[in-house]
Amino acid sequence: MNNGTKQPKRSDEPIWWALFSAGGVCFAVLIPGVLLSLAVLYPLGLISAEMLSYERIHFMVFEAFFGLAGLAFVGAAICLPLFHAVHRIHHGLHDLQWAHGPVAKVICYGAAILMSAIALGLWIF
Amino acid sequence: MTQTIVIARYNPELDEKPHQETYQVQSDDNTSVLDALQQVQQQDPSFSFRWSCRMAICGSCGVMVNGVPKLGCQTFLRDYPVGLVITPLSNFAVEKDLIVNMEPFLEHLSAIKPWLINTAEGTQPHVQTPKQLAKYQQFANCINCGLCYSACPQFGLNPEFRGPAALALAHRYNLDSRDQGKAQRMPELNAKNGVWTCTFVGFCSEVCPKKVDPAAAINQGKVESAKDMIVSAFKPTGAR
Repeated sequence: MNNGTKQPKRSDEPIWWALFSAGGVCFAVLIPGVLLSLAVLYPLGLISAEMLSYERIHFMVFEAFFGLAGLAFVGAAICLPLFHAVHRIHHGLHDLQWAHGPVAKVICYGAAILMSAIALGLWIF
Repeated sequence: MTQTIVIARYNPELDEKPHQETYQVQSDDNTSVLDALQQVQQQDPSFSFRWSCRMAICGSCGVMVNGVPKLGCQTFLRDYPVGLVITPLSNFAVEKDLIVNMEPFLEHLSAIKPWLINTAEGTQPHVQTPKQLAKYQQFANCINCGLCYSACPQFGLNPEFRGPAALALAHRYNLDSRDQGKAQRMPELNAKNGVWTCTFVGFCSEVCPKKVDPAAAINQGKVESAKDMIVSAFKPTGAR
């Protein structure tokens, strides 16, 4: 019986859970708005093409708020939702007993880190 | 009227594996599953099951009714007109008939130190305001029936998981203004088999006969554990 004589190791799960939670908020609040405006209203012609003109988007992504608006958008619309999605996949793999352990973890969160790096790289360069 | 119930039977000295047997019991609007089990025991005295208070206080008579964890005394035959299948609590080893080995649950329970830890000397009572009581009162209603462990798919996959009732009680004592044991309990919550095995399925809270809501307690525990990790990062290594 374990009466607390040996302390168990601290889990690193809070890090992934925090990213998952933040990504969940972005998924729930930001992504529907982005999809509505870019994938529904714009193709239907309900918002003017001028709203998405190169100059306007370039200003918003690279110059607004000292150039940080683009960073915030990439982080909130791509990176954090990625961590949310892979967290669900990682735990889903465990629940289905398909894969659990360090390899699945590295592949899942590694994919999110890699794709986030690509997204941020595209913003920077 | 007469109702048919199917019960899982297993005698480890005679049977290779559990099997199901059908019984006829007399029932009216007031017949509980526990009443029906007692009728079956009169028909077949070799039939074994646990019970004590028959009023949802002792937490002894937990069984699966049509696959859902229930207290026998709090579940009525009138709600199952098409019949019921009664099996032992899931996720525990069966000892005989409807009796399961609760020892793993009790080990998890004692591991999180579910009692007031307070080093204050003296004979004065620990005064508490209604506001301080309200913080943890909901989580204090646990009767240790184990239904939440049978409902938890994560406990089913990983019996090392501390589980809903134990983690809810850890949270209950951590929230108690009279308690000073949080630092002793946090390592168990912070571990892989502590709050972090939970994936917020929430079935534990649905089946809880006392409305303790362990799923809420565990997820509040995740916030506490995340805060504890941040605080520990700023402490010197020896103090962690």
